[in-house]
Amino acid sequence: MSARPDHDGDQQLRLLDDAWEKAVPDWQDDVARQFGTHRWTPLRDESRLYLESLRAMMDLLDAAERDTEY
Amino acid sequence: MTAIHADIDALTELRAALTRFRYAQREVTERGGDAIEATRASLEAKASRWRARLEQSRAELAACRDRAAAAEQDVPVDCSGYARAVSEAGERLEHIRLWQRRIDEQAIEFHGATSRFKDQLETDLPRAEEQLAGIIASLQAARRVQPSGS
Repeated sequence: MSARPDHDGDQQLRLLDDAWEKAVPDWQDDVARQFGTHRWTPLRDESRLYLESLRAMMDLLDAAERDTEY
Repeated sequence: MTAIHADIDALTELRAALTRFRYAQREVTERGGDAIEATRASLEAKASRWRARLEQSRAELAACRDRAAAAEQDVPVDCSGYARAVSEAGERLEHIRLWQRRIDEQAIEFHGATSRFKDQLETDLPRAEEQLAGIIASLQAARRVQPSGS
């Protein structure tokens, strides 16, 4: 576990992406396409949005601490 | 036969990865919230210290000005150091307040993103895992009824 939660969140998303990439080549039917469209894509997109927002928040918190160390 | 085996193994691993992701990201969201609260507390502690320093500096400046007013005209009393201390404490306190406002503003936006993501973790992700479990069960059933050697 790293000090910043956004770094751990990014790592978890990479692990999930890897599992998806391993499953997809041998899974190419209509069920797979539906799962991809209605489950996987929204999950990945919302996760990325959240992690970008978390990164920006953590950057701001770090900057605030640094800039007020007198 | 081999193709179905490969599908099932990969999908089983994908389902396990989704479950791990759900638990790990739940912890990430909690740590994100904790980090905001920790920084808020840290900034408030700094603001409190500088408020106290400002009050002390103002009192020292007032005392110096009293001494200057009471002093003989040919004995000058220099209060400029106290005035600088008041100015510096005031500027630093305002600087900390500026950061507090910026964090509060961004935290509102961040709260929206967190709520949407938490909904996904608590509602959509379990549904995806459940759907995947159903797909895996169907594939396993299909494998069981396959004629041997096919």
